[in-house]
Amino acid sequence: MIISLNWLKKFTDIDMPVEELATLIGARLVEIESITNLGEKYKDVLVVKVVSAEKLEGSDHLNVTKIDDGGVTANLERDKDGLIQVVCGAPNIKAGQLVAWLPPDSIVPETFAKAEPFKLGIRNLRGTISNGMIASSRELALSDEHEGILELDGDIKPGTSFAKTYELDDYLLDIENKSLTHRPDCFGIVGFAREVAAISGKQFKTPDWLVDLTADFSGDQTASQLDVSVDDSELCSRYLAIVMSDANGSKKSPLHIQTYLSRVGVRPISAVVDVTNYLMMLTGQPLHAFDYDKLVSLNAGKAEIHVRAGRDKEKLELLDGRTIELTTDDIVIASGETAIGLAGAMGGLNTVIDDNTKKIIVESATFNLYKLRSTQMRHGIFSEAITRFTKGQPAELSAPVLSAAVHLMNKWADAQTLSKVAEAYPGKNDRPTINISQALINDTLGDDIDMTKITKTLGNAEFEIETKDTTATIKVPYWRADIHINEDIVEEVGRLNGFDNINPTLPGRNFTAIMPSDFDGFRSKVRKIMARTGVNEVLTYSFVHGDVLNKVGQKVENSYRIVNSISPDLQYYRQTLTPSLLGLINPNIRQGYDNFALFEINKTHRRQDGLTDENVPVETDMLALVIADKNKPAGAPYYQARRIFDYLCACFGLELDYQTIDDKLDESLMAPFEYRRSAKVVDKSNGSLIGLVGEYKRSVAHNFKLPDNAAGFEIDMKALFEIIKTKSNNYKPISRYPSSERDICFQVSSDTAYGQIIEALNDALKNAPVETSILPIDIYQAEAGKTKNITIRVKLVSHDHTLTSEEVTNTIESVIKVVATATDATVI
Amino acid sequence: MQNIDDTRKDLLARIAVSDAPRELLKVPELKQLYDVIKTLAPEERGAYGKQINELKLLLESAITERESSLEDLAVESIDISAPWDVNGRPLNLLPTEQGTQHPLTLELENVINIFTRMGFEAIESRQIDDDDHMFATLNFPANHPARDGYDTFRTEENFIPPAHTSTMQNRILKAGKSKLEAGGQIASISYGRVFRNEDIDATHEHTFYQCEGIFVSSTATLGQMLGTLRSFFETYYGQSLKIKTQPAYFPFVEPGLEFAIEKPAALGGKPGEWLEMLGCGMIHPNVLSMAGIDPQKYRGFAWGGGIERLVMLKYGIEDIRHFESGKLQFLRKFYE
Repeated sequence: MIISLNWLKKFTDIDMPVEELATLIGARLVEIESITNLGEKYKDVLVVKVVSAEKLEGSDHLNVTKIDDGGVTANLERDKDGLIQVVCGAPNIKAGQLVAWLPPDSIVPETFAKAEPFKLGIRNLRGTISNGMIASSRELALSDEHEGILELDGDIKPGTSFAKTYELDDYLLDIENKSLTHRPDCFGIVGFAREVAAISGKQFKTPDWLVDLTADFSGDQTASQLDVSVDDSELCSRYLAIVMSDANGSKKSPLHIQTYLSRVGVRPISAVVDVTNYLMMLTGQPLHAFDYDKLVSLNAGKAEIHVRAGRDKEKLELLDGRTIELTTDDIVIASGETAIGLAGAMGGLNTVIDDNTKKIIVESATFNLYKLRSTQMRHGIFSEAITRFTKGQPAELSAPVLSAAVHLMNKWADAQTLSKVAEAYPGKNDRPTINISQALINDTLGDDIDMTKITKTLGNAEFEIETKDTTATIKVPYWRADIHINEDIVEEVGRLNGFDNINPTLPGRNFTAIMPSDFDGFRSKVRKIMARTGVNEVLTYSFVHGDVLNKVGQKVENSYRIVNSISPDLQYYRQTLTPSLLGLINPNIRQGYDNFALFEINKTHRRQDGLTDENVPVETDMLALVIADKNKPAGAPYYQARRIFDYLCACFGLELDYQTIDDKLDESLMAPFEYRRSAKVVDKSNGSLIGLVGEYKRSVAHNFKLPDNAAGFEIDMKALFEIIKTKSNNYKPISRYPSSERDICFQVSSDTAYGQIIEALNDALKNAPVETSILPIDIYQAEAGKTKNITIRVKLVSHDHTLTSEEVTNTIESVIKVVATATDATVI
Repeated sequence: MQNIDDTRKDLLARIAVSDAPRELLKVPELKQLYDVIKTLAPEERGAYGKQINELKLLLESAITERESSLEDLAVESIDISAPWDVNGRPLNLLPTEQGTQHPLTLELENVINIFTRMGFEAIESRQIDDDDHMFATLNFPANHPARDGYDTFRTEENFIPPAHTSTMQNRILKAGKSKLEAGGQIASISYGRVFRNEDIDATHEHTFYQCEGIFVSSTATLGQMLGTLRSFFETYYGQSLKIKTQPAYFPFVEPGLEFAIEKPAALGGKPGEWLEMLGCGMIHPNVLSMAGIDPQKYRGFAWGGGIERLVMLKYGIEDIRHFESGKLQFLRKFYE
């Protein structure tokens, strides 16, 4: 929203520099995004008088004019009468006119601050000198009008600055709308000026016509009949309308008004349209006008306006040519049974005002802002009017604004009043009264403001206040539809005086130490351990393209689907983290990274997991890793991934079970993994599944262009955390006696799993009379051999004596016997 | 014009024998079928588009089937119980110096650490939530215009990927109610990933991180909020800081403010340069009521801000898209 400083000044005195004002507004009302010095744009433009205009010889449309600039322009060639010669191509140029002249070296305002500003000069047209140019309304950036030069009205001395004359020596403040969502009053200049006065500590005075809520209408009020009705106050709290005559579309509003409209971004059109826009900019109340004759012709000659809800399948052709299908949530203006407008949003084409319009109906109404907002979203309508309606303009405002509209249409377009005001006011509310104590204000703000200051602060913004001791009874002015409760008043007092004047303190607290949550602490540790293993943490999007799910073979119906994404890459919630990581492998290899691993800890969501007690989807915290090597693998890549996970577990003193996958696992988790080259990670104590380590399916490797050497894991972090929580300290005192080691080489059938040997070995060692530990040394298999050799180092130590060679041999031999029986191994 | 039936037969036959069946989705015949849509009259497009979509779904399932039958071909199993492969050697980890933690999780840990020391509990926010927690319990009535500012995504079931960490406010307030009534205070931060349905560029992301705080007691004041926030930023930047505010509108606070600090020297700041850090305010009485807390007895303040901004300022990161890019080039620039 653009606010004109000069327009504000018509309602309140502003004596500080614009930058200072912007800082003050920023601190106490709303952020100002930018300040534009409008005066710069018009600084060289002069009002001049056309003294003579004669056809240029040899041209069918050019005129040679002599203009009187009051002698203010230096260094130009003048005739004996001191006049300057300008060639002008406009058909409407005439001697005696006052016009806007752009002297040589000035910039055409239309092109000001554009990529290629147009700078005027002294030109020679067919041997005739032309100094600068006489401007059209479009060249002055005031409207789209370019048929001829702009003729100025009034009695202006030639040589006067154009900017001064029309108060264009102005500053424009660009306001961040979003922060004023709750302030309908600030969407009008008067309301904004009231705030500016109040935050600079000045008393504001709202113009009388805006405070007079009983509208006065002159003219013949009996010529036309008009009735209005509203179905439900939930649709429209108040609807006012009046019939006016001779609403001549060719009449223009005063140039002065046009310049004000155009500087705040509204295109001047005709006096009637300008009146509605001008009053909307001034007060925040939008107005609409219908063609009277078209309206009555839709209802057997009767002028009856009916405000109702839209009907299912009902169609309406809008002013912009679109035909929309209405819903029962839309508010409709109807003539008889026929819809003629989408309330607050846009009029219908069937009642549009055109050159043949004789009589109009002017509407000033208050619609339900929530319904209008849903209409706005549903039909994609964004206009200055609906922007204001959806802030919730007060019903009281509609009367004085309609009254002002009638007055201005009469003044600018000679329109006459032809009917009484037709009114429906089903949503009449009393203005709230708020009782608030000085203590509540100060206790909430943490400040110490006395009653006099509270009264003055609120009084400046025209709140009516009665005080008794330390309590204030506050009558809220009608334009403050946002003020309902005590806290709203607290905000007003704090804000108008400046929140920055409040002394920052710290809350008084008990000395209670807070520990980070256990899981948070665990997750931080995991991140640091993973980084220590040379892995890089990534964060990737929670949403994926449907193709990504297809590429890993996850079913799309297991994902929550996003229905309104503006990007196709964000269609589905991901079911696991692995697919996101797989997508990063090839791009990084192409960047020249040969051997690396990526991990992510994040939440995943799967429809098959159902909802929580709160009826929101179950979330799972996962840890996923992918390790990739562009070079040929030295052995199956599975072991690389497992090595990292083993290390992570070891850091928490944990040893988990790896089990072959023979049954159907969770389909989302399993999808990317090749089951013959992957393992379930299982909690030894209760057999529950923690996650998977493994290599990827060939199709997945192909679809993600993975190198041959790629593997990874995906682990449920909460499940892992639960195991770690229950893990007890396994510290054993260190023995004072030396230990003995023996390497045992078991030869087993090539399909015997390493784990079987270890399991048997551990079983046997459990009963050993001494403390034992084992370490894998070698796994060997001859090419095409039917057996393999597994070498394990067994370490023995006693806590009460040095083991003799015999003791060691006996223990080892008994162990070998157990393992040999359990696994058909022979020791070599 | 190309015939859909013929294309279907031809492609299904090719998928059945292909070693890389998914590649067949890229054949020109399919693209040509899609291109036909543009040439059709609007009323014919719907029916034709539906046929094309059915074709695509059919091909997809044939591809998935072919892919899984390809998988069943000889894949050698491995001994998953072994520590390394047959004839292999004990494996090394990757070089430890190339490992890194993500700068966003590092900074979040930092922020959580400071607030924890200040006495705030830290709670992670959800990544999928409902309208109730996103809007309704935060005093945004249905169809309230302030909802527009959040550009929320929605799922088919009308769940919402949260657009702010304030989704946790109602939960934290409810959980803290008993503590409050026993004479204590509620002091919590919630942090996590949030989502906005908007186009991305160097300064906008649809996925980012926020940290939010709430404090409720019988004596909370706006002055305490300013003091708490200043104290956090002073600790974070290790210097004393000037602060300023600006009125702002958020339905869940009253009054609502934007909070700015004078740019710290550590970031090359000069006096008079301000950094907008977060939005804050006194918790709206309706928000307290909706959590069953009596707004006549208790007051609170809340704030929320982005984490990316802190990290970008700290390191001088030029493009917010780097964070979720997964580029090692970027990730390996950060260390503890």
